[in-house]
Amino acid sequence: MEVVVLAKWVPVTQEEELKLVRGEKAVDLEEIPFRLNEWDTYAIEEASRILEAHGGTGWVVSLGGEEADTALRRGLAMGLGKGALIETEEELVDPFERAQIFKNFLEKKGIKFDLLLSGVQAEDDQFAATGGILAGLLDLPYATMVMGIEEISEGEVTVLRELEGGFMERVRISLPAVLSVQTGINEPRYVSVTGVLAAAKKEREFLPVDEFSEGRKGRIEILKLEFPPPREGAEIIKGDLDEVVENIFEILKEKGVR
Amino acid sequence: MEVAIRKEDLFACIQCGKCTGSCPEAGKTPFNVRMMVRKVLFDEWNEEDLLWFCSSCGACTVRCPRDVRPSEVVVGLRAAMVEAGRVPTSLYQALENTLVQKNPWGRSKNKRDEWTAPLDFQIPFIGDGDLHTLLFVCCVQAYDPRCQVIPRNFAKVLHTAGVPFGILGRKEVCCGNEIRRVGEWGLFRELREENSRNFKRYGVERIVALSPHCMNAFRKEYDGVVQDVLHYTQFLWELIREGAIEPKGEYPKRVVYHDPCFLGKQNGVFDEPREILRAIPALELLEFSRSRENSLCCEGGGGRMFIDVEAGERNGERRVKEAEELGAEVIATACPFCLLNLEDAATVLDAAIEVKDITEILMEVL
Repeated sequence: MEVVVLAKWVPVTQEEELKLVRGEKAVDLEEIPFRLNEWDTYAIEEASRILEAHGGTGWVVSLGGEEADTALRRGLAMGLGKGALIETEEELVDPFERAQIFKNFLEKKGIKFDLLLSGVQAEDDQFAATGGILAGLLDLPYATMVMGIEEISEGEVTVLRELEGGFMERVRISLPAVLSVQTGINEPRYVSVTGVLAAAKKEREFLPVDEFSEGRKGRIEILKLEFPPPREGAEIIKGDLDEVVENIFEILKEKGVR
Repeated sequence: MEVAIRKEDLFACIQCGKCTGSCPEAGKTPFNVRMMVRKVLFDEWNEEDLLWFCSSCGACTVRCPRDVRPSEVVVGLRAAMVEAGRVPTSLYQALENTLVQKNPWGRSKNKRDEWTAPLDFQIPFIGDGDLHTLLFVCCVQAYDPRCQVIPRNFAKVLHTAGVPFGILGRKEVCCGNEIRRVGEWGLFRELREENSRNFKRYGVERIVALSPHCMNAFRKEYDGVVQDVLHYTQFLWELIREGAIEPKGEYPKRVVYHDPCFLGKQNGVFDEPREILRAIPALELLEFSRSRENSLCCEGGGGRMFIDVEAGERNGERRVKEAEELGAEVIATACPFCLLNLEDAATVLDAAIEVKDITEILMEVL
């Protein structure tokens, strides 16, 4: 089994007071901590489990700045065998452009795989598109929202997909295939700091993005970023505890909560 | 210090049972520390999940007549689990959070100084000017809304008394005391390195730690990078003794003091918190039957604040019930974990008892 996982190093912005820079076309990420995209953590764990069960080699591939090496090292510490960082300091927001670079990388490096896993989406831009576009560009079968990989047999994989309304869909896909993995598919193993440090000794390649730029074209141009307008309608209930509780109780009753 | 206990050292164990006898988890959970030592010695230890019951109170290590240090055996065994990637989900999150945001709750590291916002004076950054006394705030008190009042109270007292001190603000990172105790030594080393680098860079000569857990780490696990490390109760008692501050107002309540494990039994600070309380007019100080070295652990240490385990009746509730029987109106303590656990227990029991940090009582009488 040969498995490739795409892993993105993303800013953790949930609680930050974000500032816009470069003519309001980008977010200032100077003081923001980064981590491995949560969805990709599940994809790496799934890949590691597949390799443990079936044998073979796993690649973790990232596209980003040099600090994204930590994403590779986490993937390697979790059980994958090889890492490659396609280095660029540019913020590539367009999933088409990212997918084209990954396609060029896989072809140019001659990496033959049975499965390519990505997270369903990245926490930063949340396009949820790179995996699907890459499958299209490679002309490979694709499933997204994968919540379970049930069976891998000769030339086929059976997966469970999460659908709207809480339904699950079981599909059989021929290999090689691209799967976008949903969180909750497994419980990722913890990777210790020592483990990540030790992974620095594992095989990694650092390649300039220019080597894989053929046919690369961004279809998205950011004109301006804006904060959503503050919403109205919130009511701050003041008073002592009993008053507040009484007040909330009345409001809930009024709204028909029983 | 970070090396796991060597198995040959466990031969010293005479199975006297003083460890289990003092363990706050013994009896009410399946964790038996004496049995653990025995099984590890005979390569029969296979009940990994039981390790997460240990709250690192240190009672077993303090009482062991043979210096086997059972609580460190727990840490060593946990470290093996961490390296193998086997940690409870709740702990996984706390460790990831500490790696990314430098605190177990995953709050933004850029908001670590938000507790200072309501103050009507500025606390200087330790690197500004000729400051050598560092107030180390700790993750809980920097972020937890219930506990943020503690650093504010302490800062107000020092500000009013004209005592020069500084903080690291957003540069402060978790002390790593609990991180080491859950067995994540690599992460602990990273945190220690970052704090130590800042202590040196900004010429810190004295650390006043608000949490006994931070104090313990700086005293025992930071290779002596700063020699003079105090708990805030020791610093405040110094100020009261010197007459720099004077509790004048009356506090006519019956107060029982709960010894935090990392302050009392693990670092021998028993008297200063009590002296502060005794210095307050009209305050009647009571004692738990289990006090000082024998204080009953609130179960907040050793990562237990982040790990969900079913540990039977909570010790916090036992503590609150005993305080009620003593006729106490207030449980005073000097550790944020104890404060949260005891207060939560009092709420659950609907007990007519207040749980307060010593600074909160002091603020009412200064």
